[in-house]
Amino acid sequence: MTGHGNPFEQLALTRRELLRACGMGLGSLALGQMLSESSVAASSGANPLAPRPPQFPVKAKHVIHLFMNGGPSHVDTFDPKPSLEKYAGKPLPTDNLKTERPTGAALPSPFKFKKCGQSGIEVSEIFSHVGESIDDIAVIRSMYADVPNHEPSLLLMNCGAARQIRPSVGSWVTYGLGTENQNLPAFVAMCPGGYPIQESQNWQAGFLPGVFQGTYIDSQHTRIEQLIEHIRNDRISLPRQREQLDLLQQLNQRHAEARQQDKELEARIQSFELAFRMQTEAAEAFDATREPQHILDMYGPGVQARQILIARRLVERGVRFVQLWHGAGQPWDSHDDLAIQHRNLAGQCDQAIGALLKDLKQRGLLDETLVIWGGEFGRTPAVELPKQGSNAGKINGRDHNHYGFTVWMAGGGVKGGITHGATDEFGFQAVENRVHVHDLHATILQLLGFDHLKLTYRYAGRDFRLTDVAGNVVRELIA
Amino acid sequence: MHCSKQGKLAWVGVLLSASVWFGAAARVKSEQATPPNPDQLEFFEKHIRPVLAERCYPCHSAKAGKTKAGLSLDSAAGVLRGGESGPVIVPGKPGESALISAIRYESNEMPPDGRLSSEIVADFVHWVETGAFDPRTEAAGAAPSEPAPQKDGHWAFRNPVIGELPAVQNASWVSTDVDRFILARLEQANVAPSPPASPRALLRRLYYDLTGLPPQAEEADRFAAGQGADYAAVVDSLLASPRFGERWGRHWMDVARYADTKGYVFQEDRNYPKAYLFRDWVIQAFNNDMPYDQFITNQLAADQVDPSQAAAMGFLTLGRRFINNKNDIIDDRIDVVTRGLMGVTVTCARCHDHKYDPVTMADYYGMYGVFDSSREPAEASAPLMMVDESQPREPVIFLRGNPSNRGPQVPRKFLACLCSGDPVPYRHGSGRREMASMIASTDNPLTARVWVNRVWLHLVGRGLVTTPSDFGSRSDPPSHPELLDWLACRFMQEHWSTKWLVRQIVMSQAYRQACDDRADGAAADPENRLVWRMNRRRMDLESIRDGLLTAAGRLDLTMGGPSVPLTEPPFATRRSVYGFIERQNLPNFFRIFDFAGPDTHNPARPYTTVPQQALFLMNSPFAIEQASNLAARSAAAGGGNTTARIKSLYRFALARDASDEETALCAHFVETSEPAAAAAAIADPWQYGWGRFVAEQGITQFNPLPHFTGSAWQGGKDLPDPQLGWVMLNAPGGHPGNDLDHAAIRRFVVPQSGRLVIRGSLHHPAEQGDGVVARVVRQNGGIVKEFTAHHSTTPTDCEPLTVGAGESIDLLVDCGAGGNNSDGFSWTVTIRWESEKGDAREWSSEGGFHGPPPPPLDRWTCLAHVLLMSNEFHFVD
Repeated sequence: MTGHGNPFEQLALTRRELLRACGMGLGSLALGQMLSESSVAASSGANPLAPRPPQFPVKAKHVIHLFMNGGPSHVDTFDPKPSLEKYAGKPLPTDNLKTERPTGAALPSPFKFKKCGQSGIEVSEIFSHVGESIDDIAVIRSMYADVPNHEPSLLLMNCGAARQIRPSVGSWVTYGLGTENQNLPAFVAMCPGGYPIQESQNWQAGFLPGVFQGTYIDSQHTRIEQLIEHIRNDRISLPRQREQLDLLQQLNQRHAEARQQDKELEARIQSFELAFRMQTEAAEAFDATREPQHILDMYGPGVQARQILIARRLVERGVRFVQLWHGAGQPWDSHDDLAIQHRNLAGQCDQAIGALLKDLKQRGLLDETLVIWGGEFGRTPAVELPKQGSNAGKINGRDHNHYGFTVWMAGGGVKGGITHGATDEFGFQAVENRVHVHDLHATILQLLGFDHLKLTYRYAGRDFRLTDVAGNVVRELIA
Repeated sequence: MHCSKQGKLAWVGVLLSASVWFGAAARVKSEQATPPNPDQLEFFEKHIRPVLAERCYPCHSAKAGKTKAGLSLDSAAGVLRGGESGPVIVPGKPGESALISAIRYESNEMPPDGRLSSEIVADFVHWVETGAFDPRTEAAGAAPSEPAPQKDGHWAFRNPVIGELPAVQNASWVSTDVDRFILARLEQANVAPSPPASPRALLRRLYYDLTGLPPQAEEADRFAAGQGADYAAVVDSLLASPRFGERWGRHWMDVARYADTKGYVFQEDRNYPKAYLFRDWVIQAFNNDMPYDQFITNQLAADQVDPSQAAAMGFLTLGRRFINNKNDIIDDRIDVVTRGLMGVTVTCARCHDHKYDPVTMADYYGMYGVFDSSREPAEASAPLMMVDESQPREPVIFLRGNPSNRGPQVPRKFLACLCSGDPVPYRHGSGRREMASMIASTDNPLTARVWVNRVWLHLVGRGLVTTPSDFGSRSDPPSHPELLDWLACRFMQEHWSTKWLVRQIVMSQAYRQACDDRADGAAADPENRLVWRMNRRRMDLESIRDGLLTAAGRLDLTMGGPSVPLTEPPFATRRSVYGFIERQNLPNFFRIFDFAGPDTHNPARPYTTVPQQALFLMNSPFAIEQASNLAARSAAAGGGNTTARIKSLYRFALARDASDEETALCAHFVETSEPAAAAAAIADPWQYGWGRFVAEQGITQFNPLPHFTGSAWQGGKDLPDPQLGWVMLNAPGGHPGNDLDHAAIRRFVVPQSGRLVIRGSLHHPAEQGDGVVARVVRQNGGIVKEFTAHHSTTPTDCEPLTVGAGESIDLLVDCGAGGNNSDGFSWTVTIRWESEKGDAREWSSEGGFHGPPPPPLDRWTCLAHVLLMSNEFHFVD
């Protein structure tokens, strides 16, 4: 029988062969020249995803963004606030800041914190595996955003603008760097079970060419044909398809010879060779079961573990940017039952995130892979009050909080074992060394070798950048 | 929206209406005229001047010659005058003073090398609150280094004029006046034009450019036989074809950021169910050659000029809904009108005056007021219409674009830079109709130029202005400014006829050139800005899809009506222009072929070459379907003769005969290819059968199950089958047959030698009967393990096995000694394979369950498929 299971085994190529294939026949036009609004009209034909060096040499080459969509509570994860105990059930001595919904008394964390690593940074028990790698992590405890609502905050965190159509961070990064492996998508956004809110706007290319858009993958699936569109053909076997391509290229060569070997024609010829290899490479890359048992055991069971392990396999193969969403909708949005929900959610991913950090490190990949963890905002230290239609009225959850929250980064040239900035005594707002989302973006680009002021795209008459007119690089985070 | 290129290093001023500006000045002056208040003087000298001197003068001192962003802070006059785009303080109003927001690090962050302490910031706030007293008497120094842009200074803001036709030497080359402009520049550059394209190439080019469809082979033969002599007649017939409106309507839909949905609106219904009425209106308008000024006027104000054309207003009303944020919806409308129709980037001025072009916040909010005074009626009778509110709303400037930071009121009026003299506030209703008449006007210097340039871009492959939606001062000047003006003026004289315009261009020799590269041309003008040859172009998404359907003989030319989904089987065969456009989650098919993103107005499509395009053509069911149809069509036309069939394949796919060499290559391909089934040597590991476990020998007798229902393998169409009885296998489990000779057997064939770990779970739900017996049996080594289940669940993990390639492992279930009453079961098994090297794979019985493979493509279909993927098919010479 043909076409089912995985018939590609025998045609697998080595990684070196694949990487060599990437550069073949592809023009190396300057990026700005190739892709500005003025040149899109003239067909350039060059591969916009060909790898390009950054503006200055750096360690980081890849990004894995672990997106805890819904907004994980910082005071229950990486920003301990013992003072909340003192006021448990009582109003805080300072006024509660206005968030999406009314909030009431102080709600101490239901979780214990423990000093971790040499650095002794305190981490919640629900992220104990992550805590084991804390000496590789820079915890930014002074993040802040603009508004306490999911939609604008998701777009701000992902695209640098709360409402307007702007390219996502992953699109900017692939626009800047291209990608190392043409046989896999350059920018992958995985979310098991469906879309997060704002859907594919979160990984949109905006005004950049569509090839820089994130490729969405529902990581709940395991079969490659469900993961990547048109990656298989159940009507034509691979050897047969090879024959087809051989004839195709013979005809194309004759066509090109009569046309002075036009480089656009040549680029398209090569794109078929890349596509042919992609079928094999992608099937292999997205199959986490190919890992040895001890690695599978290290990451643990479940869909989170599988997609986190796939992320490692992808960056190992040269994928530029992988964004992993926890799940459809907004799973971390614990307006009720925070103690139960946050423990469950962390339980689904903590072991695998810890394993990812260790695994990258033992492979020597942590230096070149920037790992980012966080949501679109944090949560209030005060309990959310009952409100019809907004929550279940259990008075045991937290509201959204954009005034202060935590994001952490590891690898990719980040200084490990540090905390940066601080929220106030209760964790309501960032007060010390405040880091706006624009500043985080500027820092991410810096780590990837770009001056955020200079990674620009000419559109609608001006040069746009990820950080708009803002953004300061947080030098303290860089090793 | 911010436009600053320099980011935090640039002062972003805030426009204040003239009255506020002069009011502020008057106030400062009057205070200076009275004797200085000693407290104010002391406060300034103690708290303000030292900070200005130390932290601000390094970049903003006229004396030192450093006035970044045109701002000098070393004199009272300099502070008062402000930066490039307006004053930086409003005395008495720190909240509206750009200087205060900058030192608060709220907008620009100043000073850039470190924030002032909160005490100092408080001092400045106090200083501004109390009137910004400034005793310094020095002159303001030089004018800003970059003067504010002037409306008369930039070519695009001056009206186009018809100059004299340029003189040329090689007059015999000239067919139309367009050619004079092109040739004059070529002669200047000493580059010869290219020879004409071959008749076949020219015809194909013309067909795709005018209709988006290829010519038929017979038409191409006839045209080539006549050496292209009836070119003009062909042009006229294609301009008259209904296909013309479909092709050019789609170009307009890119401008109009057309979609059938609203984008992300949370849980509201996302569809614009009547969006197609706009699309159909646009297609008809192009087919009827509606004058372009009328075309635009209808789209902006049909409610007031001709309500029967209300569908035209989808141009305004079909944008993204931004979760129903009014200000963003209006911003999108301002954008589509200004960039789409006039090539001015007005939305820059939402937050501050435009940095480079003479567009102010007063211009932006003057337009804002027009749309804020318009609404969409709720009646279903006019689904896309917009009408005026009964009472227009007077706009105020939102300082820094922030609606809660309300600045001065401004009149609803047209863009000042496009008016002669001061713009007159609109007088009628919202002013939308007046705005439309000022856009669709021969006095508007941009409207005709922008459209002429778009038409040139679509026909030649590159605009005369390379930024089709930005004619501002930052755009590159036109390659042929006189030609642009000539075309724009003549276009208006010809009653804004788009068909006239298209005809002018395609009748030119310039358009009819070959696109072959030439060393002399490439050396003199590598980007071909002078049009010394035609540009070779990869086809766009619509032409590819419509072209595939045409080759397959399946294209349905029905016009109009509700949009049809394009990416889901059974595949629609309508033209792509009728496809459903999902704005929020645009299917990959659109993205990979560089479709114009419908999020916002789209200036021009990119043309990229990525492997995902190849994958679509190689593997998508749509492409395969068209290859099959093409192959079938060629069989009918070519009969059983290989050469004849290849010939007809070429004629259907490429509208020409195959060369002898091509015929030989293709004949070799169809005659020597391995039969498809044999070529697919790599087997799937799972097989489905029935048989008996022979206990004495420890083997199974395996017979394939003959029938697949779509979800289960069994003996025949009905269950029980008259011969094989109840035996059945489905994804999770199945049912054993009636006796021990008819066990259900799921067979796994080991693909490579190594170690197998078999884990699973057997579940028998029924209480009745005696349950089932399950065995894991290996072909060579007898029974691995046996399990039973009756109204119970049993784990079925086995000890690791060392196996060889090709060996089979059977998962066999029989009904047990007591018969097959109520013996439905589920048995999910995971087989993990590991090699000594550490390679590993896993197969799941449930996830890997499948029916029979679809029949492999025959060799003729494979050949047809190759032609449909070829460069010749996908490029237009």
